[in-house]
Amino acid sequence: MNILYVEDNKINAMVMDKMLSKNHSKVIIAENGSQALKTVKEKNLDLILVDINLGLNQMDGCELLQRFRKLDIIKNTPVFAVTAYAMPGDKQRFINLGFDNYFSKPVNFEKLLSVISNLNTSLSKKTS
Amino acid sequence: MPFTLEQFEILAEKTLLFLFVLKKDGKIFTFNNRCEVLFPFNKDQIKGKQITDYIIDEDISLFKSSVSRLSEKNPLTVETFRFPTIQNGVLALKFDLTLHNNLIYAAGIDTTEEYKEHRALITISKLTKTGAWYFNPKNKEMYWSKGCYAIKDLDPNTPMTRGLGASFYPKESRERVENYLNTLIKTKEPYEYTEKIITGKGNQKWVKVVAQPVIYKNEVVYVNGTIADVTDRHDYIEKLKYNEETKHLALKGIQSGLFDHLIEKNEVFYSSDFKKMLGLPPDQDYVPEEKFRTMIHPDDVDTAFARHKENLKKPGNHYHNHYRLKHFKNGYRHYEVHGYRRKNQKGETIRMVGNLIDVHQKKINEKTIQDNKSKLQAMVNNGMDYIILLNVQGKILLADEDSIKIIKRDYNVDPMKTSCLFIDVMPINYKSTFAHSFNEALKGNTVRKEIERNTHVGTNQWLETKYIPILDDQSNVNTVLITFRDITEEKLAQLVIKEAQIREQELDDLKSNILSNFSHEIRTPLNGIITISKLLQDEDDNEERNKLIDYLDESKNRLLDTLNTLASYSEIESIQKNLSYSQIDVNYVVETSYRNYIHLAKTKNLDYRIELDESCPESIVDENLFKTALDNIIHNALKYTNKGSVQIKINTKRSKKNIYIYIIDTGIGIDKKNYEKIFDPFIQESIGLSRKYEGTGIGLSLSRRYIEVLGGKIKVKSKLNKGTEFLIIIPKSL
Repeated sequence: MNILYVEDNKINAMVMDKMLSKNHSKVIIAENGSQALKTVKEKNLDLILVDINLGLNQMDGCELLQRFRKLDIIKNTPVFAVTAYAMPGDKQRFINLGFDNYFSKPVNFEKLLSVISNLNTSLSKKTS
Repeated sequence: MPFTLEQFEILAEKTLLFLFVLKKDGKIFTFNNRCEVLFPFNKDQIKGKQITDYIIDEDISLFKSSVSRLSEKNPLTVETFRFPTIQNGVLALKFDLTLHNNLIYAAGIDTTEEYKEHRALITISKLTKTGAWYFNPKNKEMYWSKGCYAIKDLDPNTPMTRGLGASFYPKESRERVENYLNTLIKTKEPYEYTEKIITGKGNQKWVKVVAQPVIYKNEVVYVNGTIADVTDRHDYIEKLKYNEETKHLALKGIQSGLFDHLIEKNEVFYSSDFKKMLGLPPDQDYVPEEKFRTMIHPDDVDTAFARHKENLKKPGNHYHNHYRLKHFKNGYRHYEVHGYRRKNQKGETIRMVGNLIDVHQKKINEKTIQDNKSKLQAMVNNGMDYIILLNVQGKILLADEDSIKIIKRDYNVDPMKTSCLFIDVMPINYKSTFAHSFNEALKGNTVRKEIERNTHVGTNQWLETKYIPILDDQSNVNTVLITFRDITEEKLAQLVIKEAQIREQELDDLKSNILSNFSHEIRTPLNGIITISKLLQDEDDNEERNKLIDYLDESKNRLLDTLNTLASYSEIESIQKNLSYSQIDVNYVVETSYRNYIHLAKTKNLDYRIELDESCPESIVDENLFKTALDNIIHNALKYTNKGSVQIKINTKRSKKNIYIYIIDTGIGIDKKNYEKIFDPFIQESIGLSRKYEGTGIGLSLSRRYIEVLGGKIKVKSKLNKGTEFLIIIPKSL
């Protein structure tokens, strides 16, 4: 399973890579929006995880989602928000913007991995 | 024994009677000598001529109708015919006409004298609209002359029946009228009465009836009477009565006394009302001048007499004077005299007729109105508001002094001297609002409007306008009171409150924004720490473990930094709750802050100075907030200056409204692209400032927020490695 993780914080990107790699997924890291947009055109992706705060003067995760939605290649690819914005109302805000799922930081990996596993199962069914 | 023919012929010739024998058709058959005076020709020529040829025109038809009435059954009639004669004028002959063997035997007697009297009576009767009547109580026979019929608008041939006379009186008087006659027969006393009748044609008339008894052996055998149409006179009397009454009432109503002063004879006649008013005896017609002087109020005597003399000399005929007179019981009262002067050929006033009018109540009312008006004016002038009273046409009836001043100044009109419409003396852009509100007020509604205007000195003024309809006792709108209240201060206060509310809201937003940012900043490193801890449990490779521990350490440090910042930030809550604005002496507060850091400046061996402003500027701020912001910036300047100077300057001359406080250092400086970023509390890490500016981002950011909450601004100018200038701008209190 190919997963794109858009994250500017290097430590967080690294730990995500380590956690998901253990479960036989391939994690591609993009540090900012423009890198991510480049990547989606080159790689065949099954899931995209997006941090919201991507640094000062950078395109944020919400804008990036809008850009993704305009691209036909990843039209059907699920996009999850993975963010430290976890005040009351934040989850609803991001779901309303169009994210397919929302994970607050610190990330509950048990839950994330189970969602990815379910996703993988349904993908296998479709391809077979 | 019958007459012999000879005897008869002699008798016929000697008699005073005029004798004719006529044929049935009126042709003359024969006549006696006496008749010759009736004819201009001799006897033989007359025979065979029509007798009607010799009767005056007016009586011809009467003759014809009399002759035609004669028949075998009714052979006798009596009628008078008039004949013109050469010598004696018109003779009136009363004939007995007898039909016998188809010949008419006419025996006439000269009734000229009686006839003259009769005609005269008829004329009188006609001219005076009078009729005569008689009544025989024995056989109840009633006779009416033609005049009686004429008065009652009846045909003279109407047959007389019992009760005919009474039938013309209205029901309510009929019995009374019948009783008059019965009473006369009993008492034998004459009577007269005037009553209303309704004639045969339905006209209403007033009649005067007079009756006189004829007595024989102490018994009424006959009643003679007249009836006269007195409608005109009755109406006239009624009218006269009415006029008298009107005059009487009018005189009573005006509480006036009439006088007639014959100046030449120096006689004055007073009406009884006049005498009554002044308490003079009713028989005293003349009041000498000396006496009259004592009756006039002492303050008015001289002016009243002076005016009197002036009046007599004046051209024209009018006389007017006024003074207070001693009323017989009410003390002195105000009177006005209006008179008409008659002059002789020399133009001297010889007589004066006029009346004295009690105008006391009027005078008192005028005085009361004047007093009330002055009181009202005083109230109006001393009130805080502008007040204008308009009548229903929109004319200014009353205005306070300030309004009048404004109108005089701007429109060159004095509304108290010339009547002017309020709409004409207001700025054009208010006219439609005024017209609308005024119309609403005329309907009885109170209208309230706020208007903003520029005063003549150019400042902005807010006015609260009220249109208050004033009703008369019939509940109709009588006048409209317009008040203008200066609510500029209230408005400004409202604006300040609103601004304060906005600032408070901004502080609230800032608080939740800060909270959200803190949450984000804690969760980010926590994500690393928790995940790395999990990874460490499963990691066997040593090198990889050390790498993970390094990452763990970095995340831990970042978390600690954030928590330290949080501690300093918790202050904001308590400050925000206790905002209290007061007037401060800016020189004093800035100098106090300055003194707090003298020690720090000394240890760093810096040139640390302050320059106060001579005008002792004042500002209305929350002193705590202001001082915290100021302290932060001064401390910041000293902290990042390692050599050179830190100067503080206060300047009020640059602006009318604001106070400028400069904090200028020769420290490390800030790159221009980071001017704004230094005020963002959570930016250090991303732009790599955290090491150099450790713990400062939050201070500057708070300082800026505080100054903004107080209505001011912080600006920054800097050159890298040369120094930084912070400028705090706060509003002056006026």
